[in-house]
Amino acid sequence: MKALRRLVNRIGNFLAGRSGEQRLREEMEEHVAMETQENLRAGMTPMEARRQALIKWGGADAVREQYHAEKGLPGLETIVHDLRDAIRQLRKAPGFSATVIITLALGIGATTAIFTLVHQVMLKSLPVAKPEELWRIGDKIRCCNWGGYAQGFDGDFSLFSWEAYKNFREHTPEFVDLAALQAGSAPLGVRRGGSNAAVQTFNGQEVSGNFFRMLGVQPWIGRMMTDADDQIGVPPVAVMSYRTWEMKYGSDPSVVGGSFQLNGHAFTVIGVTPPGFYGAKLSGSQMPDFWLPITAEDILGGPVSRIKHANENYLDILGRVRPGVNPTALEAKLRVEFHDWLASHVADMVPIEKQVWEKQTLHIAPGGGGIAVMRDQYQDGLKLLLIAAGCVLLVACGNLANLMLARGLRNRTQTSVRVAMGATRLRLVRRALVESVMLAVIGGAFGVGVAYGGTRLILHLAFQIGGPNNFVPVSAEPSWPVLLFTLGLSIVTGGIFGTAPAWMTSNADPVEALRGANRSVGQGRSWIQKSLVIAQAAMSLVLLSAAALLIQSLRNLEHQDFGFEMTGRYIAWINPTLGSYKPEQMEQVYRRVDEGLMKVPGVRMVAPALYAPMTGDSWNSGVRIQGSPEPGPKENTSAGWARVMPGFFETIGAKMLMGRALNEDDTAATRVVAVVNEAFVKRFFKDQNPIGRHFGFGGIKDSSMFEIVGVVKDIRYMTQDYKEPVGPMAWVSELQTPHFDDPARQEGEKFSHFLYNIVIWAPGDPPGVKQEVRKALASVDTNLVLYAVDPYESVVSADFQQENMIATLTSLFGLLGLVLAAVGLYGVMAYTVEQRTNEIGLRMALGADRKDVVSMVLKGAFWQIGIGLGIGIPLAIVAGRLMKDQLFGVQPWNPVMLLAAAGLLAAAAMVASLVPVRRAVGVEPMVALRNE
Amino acid sequence: MGEKTDVKQGTLALMVLKTLDVLGPLHGWGIARRIEQISGNLLSLNQGTLYPLLLKLEQEGSIESDWGASENNRRARYYRLTRSGRKQLQSEVDEWQQTTEIMARFLTAKAEEL
Repeated sequence: MKALRRLVNRIGNFLAGRSGEQRLREEMEEHVAMETQENLRAGMTPMEARRQALIKWGGADAVREQYHAEKGLPGLETIVHDLRDAIRQLRKAPGFSATVIITLALGIGATTAIFTLVHQVMLKSLPVAKPEELWRIGDKIRCCNWGGYAQGFDGDFSLFSWEAYKNFREHTPEFVDLAALQAGSAPLGVRRGGSNAAVQTFNGQEVSGNFFRMLGVQPWIGRMMTDADDQIGVPPVAVMSYRTWEMKYGSDPSVVGGSFQLNGHAFTVIGVTPPGFYGAKLSGSQMPDFWLPITAEDILGGPVSRIKHANENYLDILGRVRPGVNPTALEAKLRVEFHDWLASHVADMVPIEKQVWEKQTLHIAPGGGGIAVMRDQYQDGLKLLLIAAGCVLLVACGNLANLMLARGLRNRTQTSVRVAMGATRLRLVRRALVESVMLAVIGGAFGVGVAYGGTRLILHLAFQIGGPNNFVPVSAEPSWPVLLFTLGLSIVTGGIFGTAPAWMTSNADPVEALRGANRSVGQGRSWIQKSLVIAQAAMSLVLLSAAALLIQSLRNLEHQDFGFEMTGRYIAWINPTLGSYKPEQMEQVYRRVDEGLMKVPGVRMVAPALYAPMTGDSWNSGVRIQGSPEPGPKENTSAGWARVMPGFFETIGAKMLMGRALNEDDTAATRVVAVVNEAFVKRFFKDQNPIGRHFGFGGIKDSSMFEIVGVVKDIRYMTQDYKEPVGPMAWVSELQTPHFDDPARQEGEKFSHFLYNIVIWAPGDPPGVKQEVRKALASVDTNLVLYAVDPYESVVSADFQQENMIATLTSLFGLLGLVLAAVGLYGVMAYTVEQRTNEIGLRMALGADRKDVVSMVLKGAFWQIGIGLGIGIPLAIVAGRLMKDQLFGVQPWNPVMLLAAAGLLAAAAMVASLVPVRRAVGVEPMVALRNE
Repeated sequence: MGEKTDVKQGTLALMVLKTLDVLGPLHGWGIARRIEQISGNLLSLNQGTLYPLLLKLEQEGSIESDWGASENNRRARYYRLTRSGRKQLQSEVDEWQQTTEIMARFLTAKAEEL
């Protein structure tokens, strides 16, 4: 209680700046007077009486310190003094301060920018109530459809069918609520009820009726979906995202309750989600604008609706677990439930599935981050970038330490005086600590600005593919955790790299220092400076070489042999399913498209395809060869396939190796044919002549479906696994439809006649071709939804945007590191030359010429860089090995890259030495000697 | 004159409080003199401890101070005990007496008593 009262008093005094000095002085004077009086009475002479009194009561200054310490808060007060002193010091040396602050701002900013992304992509939870209670059934990120009763070679189920989901929901009371959401996206063409305007394209996502309740999301306006809305046969409803409501519908409240045409079907929008809610899946593209009930699949999908089939796995499952449920027990229980469910479908399984269904399993995973598609996609890249940014920060810290050290050494006289006056080492270090932390925090504050710009740049690099309308719920704005991270980083860097030099320079022996303070003695500490420069050089070499490897890897990716031509080709992205076409009509539609586009000046050929190479899509099926036995469960029978219009191979410039391409003679009336690639022949025909042989998709009974009429050179089609050889692939004609006994498969086959990419060959860069294509397509049919027309090169380079982002940023970091290291070297050299001015003068007076001086100064610099290279090269090789997974067609040990990086470093060192060397050469012997 | 000892840690506060209790309001010099006199000039009061101590006691609320006129008509700062200071004095005196009693018993103890 008393202590508290005293503390309050002291804080009050501290804040009011009351030192009580006046009172003390008066009181002491009074007491001296009283003592003098007393002494006089005792018979002393007046002078002696006063002297004795002063001896006893007059040590005003000695008392004042203690008195003062009692009165206020001395610790805090010294810090305030130190802070004031630091600000004064920094103002006095604006160059020094600016260098340190800019250096730190760059280092801290780079790290913060990457951390902003790491935080949002990898660490942050969904913006919903109690995200820690959410668990996901399935642990892999899979897209978007996975047919069958077996999943992957590991049998690890992550996507589920509607029936499997309902089965879990019914049998697992451990979940308060178990919801499902579509793994992919439902492309929507939307028109407000009664409007005749062109449809607008949006992304939809099917979710179970309890989705919003499970997440605890309250409507912004209107209401959220319920289980009652998620029934077959009820009036279809949709929930709109706040962002769409605000940006596309001007926050119009009448949207709620309004009727909307979604792909030609009437839906009622029942509510708008709150701002900031983006669903349960964070992905780099196709974030939902509308949420629809799962049963809307029946309306939108029509005959190919996936909810009718127990083996159509296309749902992610996310649930809220009751408090206290043991996850391990829950997982075990879910596995049993799933096995029981699979067992009830054994009769529906194909032969291979009958062999492996019992080995199928599932895992549950914490779902606080939702379905983390983006994390899955970016975590390796982000980790790499975080390390690179950390290296930049370390180089920056090296500079901070070096500058502080240089200044500490330069101020040796001052330090000695302070020590002589009784300053303790701790006191000196504390002063330096306050100063460097202040610098670091100012640097950090600027760093937040750098980070904001940096994050925006990264977001632009990473997500530009979707065009300006691609919405990614990742923002560059610094959040509290990020700001705290930055503050922590600043304090730690400032603390460590500012205080350590102070500790080293503060053990000055006052006498020695005072005696020869300005002499060039005491070179003892310069090895620290030099080793810092060496470490910086090594670190920047590692960064540069990593950047060089990544750039080379990117170049290899972009210039690999794709097996088709991109120059002069364009892709028009369309979505025919958003109109009201029947699949049977499509051939005619594409013929009209062809006609329309061929009228565009400069267009040589046009070929619509289900999906063109490197566009990101992929359809796969199991292949059965006529005359071969049913394959075993371990055998990989999967092949990609695509449906194309005749002329496709010529349009994309692919090379036929055997037989012929698909042409106009393959019609509904003739035998059903296919063209396959080399890999297909290698896998399924062991290099025998495949022409005239038959194969089919599905069971062995379908193996006579297609006759092979041609073999095309391997085309790089998939946007992944570039290190693997091209997989087997087949192309079939838009003009033909094979016959299936199973009506569902027949419907599916019919729907593959909707082709989504139109490849246009218009060589020679005809002016305005994109606009002309747009116009031509619009004139063919206004119901044909066109997303964009892009040159093929930009489509392919968008496939490598993540690699591009990583390579660009690493290069940026490499250059930053290089510049910072050069600044560090410059600082040390300038300091050395300054310290050695007298020595240089003396040498010149004794007959050394300019050449000697230059070589003397440069020798020092190049020794440091040389050692830095010696350390950096092995490190760079190690770093290259660690990055092996990120590299394509580049050896981690690449002498050319290393030499280039080393050369760059040496050049930077040369530039950095220029000014100090000139200064050294310009030393006037007489002036230098006179300084002595 | 014998060797003067410094005041034992913690006891000075008690001496100051007791002095003010007995003599009423008093200035710093008077307090110091009084303590030295009572100790038979065996104690030497370090001025560096007296001022901060007075300030500490004042901030704790045990004493309060005000300017007044001294014997020779000069301005001097007078300290006096507050109510809580009196309470503190009482409890500290009790404590001290107990301690000295215990110490005295120990120091005069004879072998057969143990």
